[in-house]
Amino acid sequence: MITLTNLSKIFRTELIETHALREVNLQVNEGEFVALTGPSGSGKSTLLNILGTLEGFDSGDYLLDGQSVKGLSDSALSQLRNEKIGFIFQSFNLIKDFSIYDNIELPLRYRGLKAAERKQRIEQALELVGLHARRDYLPAQLSGGQQQRVAIARAIAGQPRILLADEPTGNLDSLMARQVMELLEKINQQGCTILMVTHDPDQARRAARNIQIVDGQLHDSTLYEPLAAHSA
Amino acid sequence: MSLPLLFKVLLTRKVVTILLLLQLAITLALLLNSVLLAQQTHQQLNQPTGLDLEETLLVQIKPTTPQLRAYPLLEDLLERQLNALRNIPGVVAAAYSNQGMLLQGGNNGNVYNVDDEERSNTSSVPIYFVSADYFKVLGVDVLQGRLPQQSSLFTKESFPSVVLTQSLAEHLFPEQSAVGRQLNRGSVSAVISDFYGQRNGENVMYNSIQVTRPFSVDWGYTLLLRTSPGQTSAVRQQLTTVLQQVEPNIEIFHIRSLAEQQQQLYRNEYGLATLLTILSALMLVVTMISSYSSTHFQVLKRQQEIGIKRALGASKRLIFIELLSEGWLCTLIGTLLGIGCALLLNHGLSQVISLPSLNWWLPLLTGAILLFSVTLAIWYPATIATRVSPATATKAL
Amino acid sequence: MEQFIYYLKVSLLSIKRAPLPYALTVFILSVGLGVFFANATFYYQLNSDPLPHKSDKLFFPMTLITPNDCNNCRPPRVLSYSNVQKLSASDIPSAQAAMYSSDGYARLSVDQPPTPVSIRITQRDFFKMFEVPLLHGSMWADDEAHNEVLLTRAMALKLLGRTDVVGESILLDDRNVSVIGVLDDWQMLPRLYDANGRNHLSAGEDIFLPLETGYDLNYLSRTNSQTFDDTDYRQLATEGRTGALHQLQYWVQLDTEEQQQAYKQFMQSLAEDEKAAGRHPAPINNQLVPMRNIVDYFGDDPGDIKAFALVTLLFLVVCLFNASHLALNRYLSNQYEFSLRRALGASRSQLQLQMLADVLLMTFLSITGALIIGYAGVSLMNTLLPRNSLFSDWNLTLMAGLMLTAFFCSYLVTLYPSIRASFGSLNQQLKE
Repeated sequence: MITLTNLSKIFRTELIETHALREVNLQVNEGEFVALTGPSGSGKSTLLNILGTLEGFDSGDYLLDGQSVKGLSDSALSQLRNEKIGFIFQSFNLIKDFSIYDNIELPLRYRGLKAAERKQRIEQALELVGLHARRDYLPAQLSGGQQQRVAIARAIAGQPRILLADEPTGNLDSLMARQVMELLEKINQQGCTILMVTHDPDQARRAARNIQIVDGQLHDSTLYEPLAAHSA
Repeated sequence: MSLPLLFKVLLTRKVVTILLLLQLAITLALLLNSVLLAQQTHQQLNQPTGLDLEETLLVQIKPTTPQLRAYPLLEDLLERQLNALRNIPGVVAAAYSNQGMLLQGGNNGNVYNVDDEERSNTSSVPIYFVSADYFKVLGVDVLQGRLPQQSSLFTKESFPSVVLTQSLAEHLFPEQSAVGRQLNRGSVSAVISDFYGQRNGENVMYNSIQVTRPFSVDWGYTLLLRTSPGQTSAVRQQLTTVLQQVEPNIEIFHIRSLAEQQQQLYRNEYGLATLLTILSALMLVVTMISSYSSTHFQVLKRQQEIGIKRALGASKRLIFIELLSEGWLCTLIGTLLGIGCALLLNHGLSQVISLPSLNWWLPLLTGAILLFSVTLAIWYPATIATRVSPATATKAL
Repeated sequence: MEQFIYYLKVSLLSIKRAPLPYALTVFILSVGLGVFFANATFYYQLNSDPLPHKSDKLFFPMTLITPNDCNNCRPPRVLSYSNVQKLSASDIPSAQAAMYSSDGYARLSVDQPPTPVSIRITQRDFFKMFEVPLLHGSMWADDEAHNEVLLTRAMALKLLGRTDVVGESILLDDRNVSVIGVLDDWQMLPRLYDANGRNHLSAGEDIFLPLETGYDLNYLSRTNSQTFDDTDYRQLATEGRTGALHQLQYWVQLDTEEQQQAYKQFMQSLAEDEKAAGRHPAPINNQLVPMRNIVDYFGDDPGDIKAFALVTLLFLVVCLFNASHLALNRYLSNQYEFSLRRALGASRSQLQLQMLADVLLMTFLSITGALIIGYAGVSLMNTLLPRNSLFSDWNLTLMAGLMLTAFFCSYLVTLYPSIRASFGSLNQQLKE
């Protein structure tokens, strides 16, 4: 699904050169649930951004679903992003002036789907996250947990190949966090590959595979055994 | 970008949007009416005058001593002046007249057909007293009858015969030949093609001409010259010297070509049209500044939103078009409102000046101008928006 | 005071943060104010009352005593000599003067080139009625014919090189006349006594000559002259006095309501008498127009200034919208600071004072800009619409008006944005 080969990313300012990622190699197969952990400043957000084609990289290669992203034009990358990747952010990143329905619809419009098909997909996604009744609400009218579920609905409505989640439960209390995690697991069981950045070791444990990033280098560790199930 | 979404975006910033729409509407209204006025002025300046505007010169002149303003000295002066003018190389013909043409007002009076006074009485008809070569100078066509070849005098018994312009002849004598018919001013000897006399007249093409010496030159008189093509400026340069040599006790008020005389006639309309055009251009600039600044501000404020959209798969081009679309939608609504405002403004302005009413294609044209200007103004801010990296979506608040 | 200087400093600091939007706001406001002010100058001057304490007492009588009949005719704009004689038989007015203007040539001796001059030919009450200031000498002793003239100060300087020229002799159209008075600088704007000749916008005349002398010497009116019979207008001295040759303006001063009514009655009786004598075939239509209505009555008001007034007002409104828009953006981006200050304990009224400092700063800058643009605008309008060029002077009242308008506009522009900024919910704004 994802193959990173000797990928490096360097941030340069006038005075300092920071190696955010040093010759990283990574292979993620379809259907995996991977947790990315590491201390602050270790480069995990950068890695996630690169995986999501939100940022470029300086050397190496990145193959997504068999296709190299190097040298792709902006419109090709945008199309790739739109069709294959779904995002979930820590701060939800919903557009506050749009209703829930409109927020979820946004990436589908970029894909150029017809109205009927868009409607169907949005309804499905809303059902999955359990927010169908609030489709006309504005984000400000929902709780943090509900907003994040909307973000998830937006991410999966386009049936992406991979879901990238950056601290998805970072702004939520423990009950809401649990709900969100359950949702992610459900989506993963349906076959979607998930890569999640997290600080929380409990959450990391729920992922089948754990990767640690320290000083821009990956350590594929299975220090944590995946929990088979958890109590609801 | 969908229309309903665009509307929603605009509606979230109600005050700003309303301000923008109002100013677009008023800008369009002013632009439209300025174009109308400019058009009208252009038409006025290009209307047919029946005269050769470039090659006919007009000298407004007055003797400065009372003796020279009375006969017989006046007659002698006129003779000498005409002879001197005819001797200037490049002058085809020269004549005197009590007044020029293409004037606002001047020497005028009643003319009527003595057999039909009630119906045909026309007031404010310019009355000309000219020398025999007058018609040659003007280059008018003789449509009926024969021109008087010599000057004759007013006596108690007889008046010099009258030459009418075509429109006046048709008005006084509809369906018949005017030649030989009797007017209060004399009998008609010829009908010539129309020329523009006085603006205040009932019809600018109504003129009554008699070949006779001027009645009084207390208001000055006019010397008219026809030059050969290309010789006009050469002749013009010599005029003052030549006339001063003939008789120094004269005041030359002005020397103009008939083209300049026409411009003088419409000077105020031209001035107003120019002022309104300048003001419209200023208004357009102000609207452009406002659009630029507003869009720029919006882009800066909505960076995160733009980042999210990019993260969700919007290409740079799409972001660019989205921003332009917001501007276009505003402009379109503003244009529609503006047409209403333009009608109101047109009504208001036509109470104080003469202004044609709106036609159908002008709103389209001015709307297009406005659209183009707004697009130009927001092009750069929209370009900035495309530079927002999708990674800004991931930055925490 | 110290607090106010602090507020000004804060304003300047916030401008430095984003100078371009602020500069654009001030520019737009200046342009709107400047253009408006340029036209307002002409509008104000053209519509001003040159004799405010008197203009309701000066009247322009007109009557239809002409040899011809007409239907629904208004009386002619000018009167004949015999019309004026009949009207002046009344002693109701406290002052009355007939007048017209003509052209002539003046010089000191026949070997000099002649100077073209404009002449107002009138009677002695003219100077009293229109409050013409005299620098030297006096006006004519009576309304008889005298070869005596009054010169304007400028004309005295032009012809004789000095202003104290009473007693000197000049040649007016090669006839000897003596100077008995010199007028002080006098520019009645608009020259409403000449409004019926469409000349209220032009400059006044150079020389003043008695009416009877003017007729004796056959000076024809250079503005408006109508003949209703076969009077030979060249014979002004003879036929011009008896025939239906109309070229005279006639003004009377009627101080009280009673005088005005009495005069109207007098005019009515006169017209009836003339009708009975067969000299007034047309239906009676006397007019007695007060000076402040004279331009409206003749409908000679140049519409261009009015049209432009409407348009510049709209332009100012658009500029206000624009400037408001920009100011709103500016204040919204500074909202954080406002909220912070509020969180630190500033009250709403203190923030309003801050806003006042902003307003004063903007007023000052936009007035400066407006004056520059206004001056350019006035010059442009003088070039394009030269017939109004006498009405382009700025006086104290106009300047005060501009300052007030600029302050008001700056206040409007800043009002809504600053209210929004100071009335938002604090915690939300601080988080942002």
